Amino acid sequence: MKQKALLLFPVPALVLYGAFFVLPAVQGLQYSTTDWDGYSPSFQNVGLDNFRRVVTADDQFSNALGNNLKFLLTVVLGQTVLALFLAVLLAARSRGSTWLRGLFFLPTILSSVSVAFVWKFIYDPNFGLADQLLRPLGVTSSYLGDEQKAVFFVGFAQIWFHAGQMMIIYLAGINQIPAELYEAARTDGAGRWQQFRHITWPLVAPATALVVAYTTIQSFKAFDLILGLAGNPPRSALDILSTRIYTTFANNQLGYAAAESVVFMLAIALVTWLQNRATRLAHR
Amino acid sequence: MSNLSRRSLLFAAAGSALAACAGPGGDDEKSTSTEGFDGPVEGQLSFAHWRAEDKDVLEQIIASFVAKNPKVTVRQDISPSNDYQTTALQKIRGGAVGDAFTAFRGAQFTQIAGAGVFADLSGQADLLSKYDGKLIAAGNDKTKQLGLPYQLVFNMPVTNVDLLAKYGYTDLPKDWDGFLGLLDGLKAKGVTPIAWPGGDAANAGQLLNTMVMNNIPTDDALGKFETGEVKATDEWFVNTLKQYAQLRPYVQNGANGTSAEAAAQLFATQKAALLATGSFQAGAVRKLGAKFPLGLYAPITTTADKAKYEGVFNATFILGINAKSSKQGAALAWLKHLADPAVAALYANGTSQHVTVKDVEYTNEDLKSFAPWLTKKTLLAPRFQFNNLDVRSAIENATVQVVGGTDPAKAAEAAQRVIDQKK
Repeated sequence: MKQKALLLFPVPALVLYGAFFVLPAVQGLQYSTTDWDGYSPSFQNVGLDNFRRVVTADDQFSNALGNNLKFLLTVVLGQTVLALFLAVLLAARSRGSTWLRGLFFLPTILSSVSVAFVWKFIYDPNFGLADQLLRPLGVTSSYLGDEQKAVFFVGFAQIWFHAGQMMIIYLAGINQIPAELYEAARTDGAGRWQQFRHITWPLVAPATALVVAYTTIQSFKAFDLILGLAGNPPRSALDILSTRIYTTFANNQLGYAAAESVVFMLAIALVTWLQNRATRLAHR
Repeated sequence: MSNLSRRSLLFAAAGSALAACAGPGGDDEKSTSTEGFDGPVEGQLSFAHWRAEDKDVLEQIIASFVAKNPKVTVRQDISPSNDYQTTALQKIRGGAVGDAFTAFRGAQFTQIAGAGVFADLSGQADLLSKYDGKLIAAGNDKTKQLGLPYQLVFNMPVTNVDLLAKYGYTDLPKDWDGFLGLLDGLKAKGVTPIAWPGGDAANAGQLLNTMVMNNIPTDDALGKFETGEVKATDEWFVNTLKQYAQLRPYVQNGANGTSAEAAAQLFATQKAALLATGSFQAGAVRKLGAKFPLGLYAPITTTADKAKYEGVFNATFILGINAKSSKQGAALAWLKHLADPAVAALYANGTSQHVTVKDVEYTNEDLKSFAPWLTKKTLLAPRFQFNNLDVRSAIENATVQVVGGTDPAKAAEAAQRVIDQKK
């Protein structure tokens, strides 16, 4: 009887989960096979036609997917390397390192819209900080206006925004490593690089997997930063999957937007799975 | 018992899933209900719009409205213009927000009208008589007057009259070669001829209005991209893109990455002679400290004898009453208040926007300066003929890419490919 009563405890959570996650997800799947505009009382069932269009006949979606993969690559590589570098650098407990950890973590607590406005001014080709610093060195760019590189510039802003957050995850991982291992390595004459290569890197594997997976999902969902930097709807050079879906939704094509969302979800799942496999292989 | 519970849970889950699959609900018919127009003028009214810069002036107008109607209060529900463009319909169709609301001319008006959210104002003869009939056609949906465009703006470049006069340009050119000559002359004097916010899709697209006004085969040609009657690869549009390419040397450094704020700053600080957006930015330019007189000028893309239009205007900020609102009486009183010439004058002069209300006295210097354009040969802004945002983006993206260096023919082909997929 007690066991049966215990079964009731998850019910409120399950109801909420069902109402706010499962049902919308099921509805999303249903809408993805319709041509519903989002407000009409009726719609036509179009089967898998929306998915066929998304995958084979939508240049804007494939452009957004391409941009998203470039963005993802930039952010996952840049953010992971920077976060690990900062964590290794600031692992020692001292007043200075505590202060610096706080400083590097600070951007994370800002709203993404604020971050977008800051970087919008940094990247302005006429008044921006980037131009003022780089122009004397002979480097000029239209930054967010550069069709080929704009998405990478947004990637740098994203790295600045979240590297501190990932640094904390790495710090937690590094702090779990027994100090004796480093003492033994030092006794055996291992230098800093060797200690990192043979102790730190293999033992922060779980943290790396977490950072990479989290950064991947974050990169696919960098919606507000893109809209803040590029406007709404963003130009094709800055359109990523989440903004593309939003534009389709705003264009009153809810059924097609739902199909794009399903493909979007599958893309995240696939890339995350591939990354997990790659991370495991890298740490073997 | 245990089995039964599990089965019940299974049924409940299946039932929920089926409920989820029940499909779109909502009303069975598109309502333009006006039954509430005779209702009381009381309660809290939500006025949804996107003009945050007009908030203070509207608060003054609200105060005078409340003084006349003490049982009512008005709350401004303001969203940034880009968000409003994309989300307003979803927000207001339930009726919780936007008892009275505004809509952009074009795609948004068409969508909101299609969703039956506008209450029909056709029977409000007193209210309609306060407006210039020609200027409120944009709020008309075939036979019904669903909305009342309130603002009259000129979607054409704003000029620094002093700076142009300083270099001898008092009579501005009336053909394309003359325009290029003007730009060349300004550049030779060390002035950036055109500040263009190519990094801001909404504002970058404004230049399209004047670039096509004399190139389009018919006045409604931009809307025909969506039906396939007109193509981006048509000669007239490729020629327009070639003219965009000719502007490359005359826009500011990194134009494609310039935001609307930065472009306005270049203009306000007299580093640029023309701001290629529209009269609606006059207020923002003044707030940035500009003291010089403002004018308007549209590039003529043809020879003088072939030019049909001198400029472009738009009637927008379309006022409407929510068909789902339970406060239609108060909402109608609010619209009538806004249509009072004295109130409209307060709005116009306080926001530097002309209005469509008749008998309004303009005292704002910028409005006086723009006033001659009220009687010139102008075209209703063609950019707002687009109903499909993806098609509009494809066309406008082509213009931005061309200014950034892309070959006009290639940009046109890429745009047409997207249009073929999305029309």
